[in-house]
Amino acid sequence: MTSRRHLLTGAAAAGLGAAAGAGLTAVAGADNVVPAAAVEPLTTGTATVPFHGPRQAGIAEDPPAHAAFVAFTLPAGTDRRALARMMRLLTDDARRLTQGVPALGDTDATLAPLPSRLTVTFGLGPGLYRAAGLKAPVADLPEFRIDRLERRWSGGDLLLQICADDPLTVAHTQRMLIKDTRPFAAVRWVQQGFRRSPGVQAPEHTQRNVMGQLDGTANPRGAEIDPAVWNADGSTTLVVRRVRAEMETWDILSVADKENAVGRRLDSGAPLSGAQEHDEPDFTKLDASGLPAMPDFSHVTRAHVTDPALKILRRPYNYDGAPNAAGRPDSGLIFASYQKDIARQFVPIQQRLAEKDLLNEWITPIGSAVFAVPPGCDEDGWIGEQVLG
Amino acid sequence: MRRLLLSAAVFVAVLAPSAPAWAHAQLVKAVPARDAALPSAPSTVELTFSEDLNPEFTTIVVSDVARQRVPASAPAVDGPSGTLTLGRPLNDGAYTVAYRVVSADGHTVQGSYGFTVGDPTPPVAAPAPGSAGIPPAVLIGLGGLGVVLAGAAAYLYLSGKRRRMTT
Repeated sequence: MTSRRHLLTGAAAAGLGAAAGAGLTAVAGADNVVPAAAVEPLTTGTATVPFHGPRQAGIAEDPPAHAAFVAFTLPAGTDRRALARMMRLLTDDARRLTQGVPALGDTDATLAPLPSRLTVTFGLGPGLYRAAGLKAPVADLPEFRIDRLERRWSGGDLLLQICADDPLTVAHTQRMLIKDTRPFAAVRWVQQGFRRSPGVQAPEHTQRNVMGQLDGTANPRGAEIDPAVWNADGSTTLVVRRVRAEMETWDILSVADKENAVGRRLDSGAPLSGAQEHDEPDFTKLDASGLPAMPDFSHVTRAHVTDPALKILRRPYNYDGAPNAAGRPDSGLIFASYQKDIARQFVPIQQRLAEKDLLNEWITPIGSAVFAVPPGCDEDGWIGEQVLG
Repeated sequence: MRRLLLSAAVFVAVLAPSAPAWAHAQLVKAVPARDAALPSAPSTVELTFSEDLNPEFTTIVVSDVARQRVPASAPAVDGPSGTLTLGRPLNDGAYTVAYRVVSADGHTVQGSYGFTVGDPTPPVAAPAPGSAGIPPAVLIGLGGLGVVLAGAAAYLYLSGKRRRMTT
């Protein structure tokens, strides 16, 4: 009995404390001043990625845990001057928010100080160039026979790729940028995705997708990124495809069946011809019966690229929507790849996969969009200046 | 009676998930046949399976005793059959036919067998890797054993429970 009374007294005291704390926060909030104690020096939250530079951020860095890809449609009659105004405004928002500073007119300034490696990357779709009366450096992808594209996940005149290690930061940034884009363009689609949270794995580990596969082993790394991704002027291109995972049928496969479809061991990610994840696949290796160790219809066999200049930098995020009433998942991959030249690098790989890839039995592309990614900018410049300025 | 019905339900429940396993493509006919000793070299190898093949996912190779692949066309697929046309006449010796095909449900089926041409040296058939290595009869036997054991366990459990409830 004594102990219970003790507990109750303690709880009452704690309640009072909490109420007092809330009062303080309310007072501080009224002045739009963030109390110093609210921002603790945790490196995950306060970490920033430089916004300024010859190349845009959000491409070569290790991808943060959360992302929103937001595509917009320009209304008819949009001209080059309007586009320049829009890009100036959005650049200003991004340069502030990525450094933990509220955007001008930020309606929730308290959400700005923990950028968590926030990056905002701008992509310009073919339609934006048409509106500006310019020749687009990117063209829509050809149709692939595996495609089951839905309009609600496809196309776009402007793309914002918003990435951060914290989903609230992404949500706030998305909200601010959409508000400022609203006078110029309509939201076409939003795709939100995730990877492992910071601290779960060392950054250099290859991530797993919702199908359990290590995804990104063959990505260029370090010095290999430059020749595959960046043009001399600091520009690149982006392909975004929404790929649904057919989890119900994938789930009934054995581990060996899954490995044959992918061409890698599920646990280690090693190619079926090797022992370690980063062993180069050996397509000439035969098993005891004379069959190739790497099945010729496996995903890795079909997607493999040897020329470093023809590789693509994949930067995918998982998605996992609400299951339907029958419990069937709405899961898959927001495939995002950066490369110098879509027609020369991405299209041949996708063509080979569309022609023959056992993994196609369990993945379905339902969205597709392409964007030119203009160079970065300095303190006085804005993204897209070289195109629209 | 209720106990019997429940036991029967467990039988079905145990059987049902394994149902797709019975539908996997199986090699039903091979020309040349397994362990055939041919007086003269064949120009084709034709394998017929228990379900239609997908030409994209059909691999058939013939290797000699030194594990060198015999040059051949890509297998021509017609319904459940895949035909490999060999690129050169086979010398006397032992050969291995190996296949890797994909069932309609995505399950990979692979296996191999040997045959000889002319003066027979002992065929060196490689052991079939993967699930195809276990003879279907053994699988069926093991599966059946599992079903019987599960049913028996369910019966014992239920009768035990009933005893506890009645005491």
